[in-house]
Amino acid sequence: MKNGSVLLVGLFAALTISFGAIVLGSHAQLGRLTPFYDDVESNAFPAQLRGIAQRGQLVYADLGCAACHTQQVRRPDFGSDKARGWGERQSVARDYIHQARPQLGQSRLGPDLTNYAARNATEESIYRLLYEGSATHPSYRFLFTDREIVGQRSDKAISPAGTLAPKPGHQIVPTERAQSLAAYLLNLNNTYDYPEARPFVAAKKGEEQKK
Amino acid sequence: MTNVSTPAGSAEVTAIDTQARGPLLYLLVSGVAWLVVSGFLALIASIQLHSPHFLADCAWFTIGRTQAMRDTAFIYGWGGNAALGISLWLLGRLGAFPLRGLNWTVVGTVFWNLGIFAGLVGIAAGDMTGFSFLQLPRYVLPLLVVAYAAVGMTGVLAWSGRRYDGMYASQWYALAGLFLFPWMLCGAQAVLLWWPVRGAVQAVAATWYGQAVWTLWLAPVALAAAYYIVPKVVGKALPSYESAPLGFWTLIFVGSWMGGRHLIGGPVPAWVPTMAVVAGSLLLFHYLVLGLNFRVAFQSGGTALRFVRFGLVAYVLAGLLEFLTSFRGIAASTQFTFVNNAIEQLGLYGGVSMLFFGAIYFLVPRLTVQPWASAGLLGGHRILVTAGVLLSVVALAYAGLSQGAGLLDDKVTFATIFGQIRMVLLVNTAAQLLLVTGNVLLLVNLVRTACPGTAPVPARSLFRQPAKLEAHAS
Repeated sequence: MKNGSVLLVGLFAALTISFGAIVLGSHAQLGRLTPFYDDVESNAFPAQLRGIAQRGQLVYADLGCAACHTQQVRRPDFGSDKARGWGERQSVARDYIHQARPQLGQSRLGPDLTNYAARNATEESIYRLLYEGSATHPSYRFLFTDREIVGQRSDKAISPAGTLAPKPGHQIVPTERAQSLAAYLLNLNNTYDYPEARPFVAAKKGEEQKK
Repeated sequence: MTNVSTPAGSAEVTAIDTQARGPLLYLLVSGVAWLVVSGFLALIASIQLHSPHFLADCAWFTIGRTQAMRDTAFIYGWGGNAALGISLWLLGRLGAFPLRGLNWTVVGTVFWNLGIFAGLVGIAAGDMTGFSFLQLPRYVLPLLVVAYAAVGMTGVLAWSGRRYDGMYASQWYALAGLFLFPWMLCGAQAVLLWWPVRGAVQAVAATWYGQAVWTLWLAPVALAAAYYIVPKVVGKALPSYESAPLGFWTLIFVGSWMGGRHLIGGPVPAWVPTMAVVAGSLLLFHYLVLGLNFRVAFQSGGTALRFVRFGLVAYVLAGLLEFLTSFRGIAASTQFTFVNNAIEQLGLYGGVSMLFFGAIYFLVPRLTVQPWASAGLLGGHRILVTAGVLLSVVALAYAGLSQGAGLLDDKVTFATIFGQIRMVLLVNTAAQLLLVTGNVLLLVNLVRTACPGTAPVPARSLFRQPAKLEAHAS
């Protein structure tokens, strides 16, 4: 190779083509998705997150929850996502259109959380997991404050047992960050059946033929 | 101004090296220092994998944040500084003209390091972006781009002011890495952080960038070093060199298309993961060319060459494994598991870092006109790092396969999977300990070589014993 300008132009072209095709191409395909309006339910899906839940997504992101939890369900015949009860249908791009920073994740050390709220989760159980942890889940006690009970006990206060129990006259209260995180997790429910998420009919026929 | 007085052909160490000594050593020492930092962070992160409660109560060290800090210190701190130092040295030497704009190099390096430090503090404080390999908070990125440009300009000047029109493979690869990185960083931060694209498209852009960092930035610089060192040490021209340009352009044009393999089954256009399979099969040609060119590397010995050999084999293996895991049938059991971490460790540590180590062992004695301060530290580093890389890759791959099998069976709970892989993750922690110990040895040796207490040995006497210069371990 002798011609320097050919090298430079080639390098730049390679980068531009790959960026243009992959990133801008996907953007052209999915960037204009709108919510799906269901005439029967007279409602649009996906729903916008409430303010506190939106703040919760920021907490989810800054703590790095995505290091162990994904938020993407794969189609029923790919992996055990459906069998594990993570979702009846695969996640589609429309699920994420309202999310400022979708947390798809790349690693599953813990369960997928796409439809966490659809599984019987409660605020209490989330706080307990975050405060006490488990054999596989870290405890994030910095999301809670231990404070004296003045007047009435806070209705959000948790009651851990054993060594984690608060001193008499004290209570363990989730901070605002913990409350937004819980609100966010309790809003994770993308079960609406979009037309594009339904199984591909031709694939079904193929399966029958195999049988 | 310039005193390139040593007659051509007889000089193993020239004024080109000695003039650039300070700025380039500064880049390399900061690179290795960041490698040690990332090693300690990797150690913490690996302990948290088998003992989830370790440091969990400290908000600055949740596992998500330690992993993000580890990646950032490794990619930008170690990879960035070392890639700049090595590519500037290669472009200067092959351009046969002393490097210009070295003041800018020093200023740029200072700000590059400050930017990374600020970024790490930002991640620890909760400003991480969540995109793997681009976890740095938005506010440090413009500084990093400017600092990089200040350092990289020296390399572009060295290339454009080269004395000979013809270019050698090292120059293409080094220029590609040096020149493409700021553009991809600007493109990625524009569509992810400044004017974010919508929803799932962010995942496509983030995996594109993650792949480009590896195939268009770090890997090309590492290969540039290999193309320089192998023929120099072996003392032969590379066989089948005429196919090298094809291998080069294959990597440059299709390498960054491999990113889609992380998105199989995800909420993205189906052609994105499919193109990864296409790109992977085209890249086989790139690996074939490397195999043809570098088969001579196995005919000779020496410290630098040993690292380079290990690096080349690991680089090719990592590429083949990336290709295999981009098939949907295989991804069904490897996606979202430690298999990806194993491949990343094999590619970035076994491949790129080992090639960078080889380059550092080759070029530092030529920069300082000194042999390495301690052959013992050098040998210790080589043994520890080789063992650490092998052990961590095997442990992570085993953990990943067992995790993948568990994930596929919906009856197996996460607690069971965790119980199965806990022992292997402990082995991985031991491997991380070996790695960080080895890299501390490298840092000590490098600092002692770079700042010697004694007067430098005259270049001429060293040139006659190139073997001593590289401090052969055996």
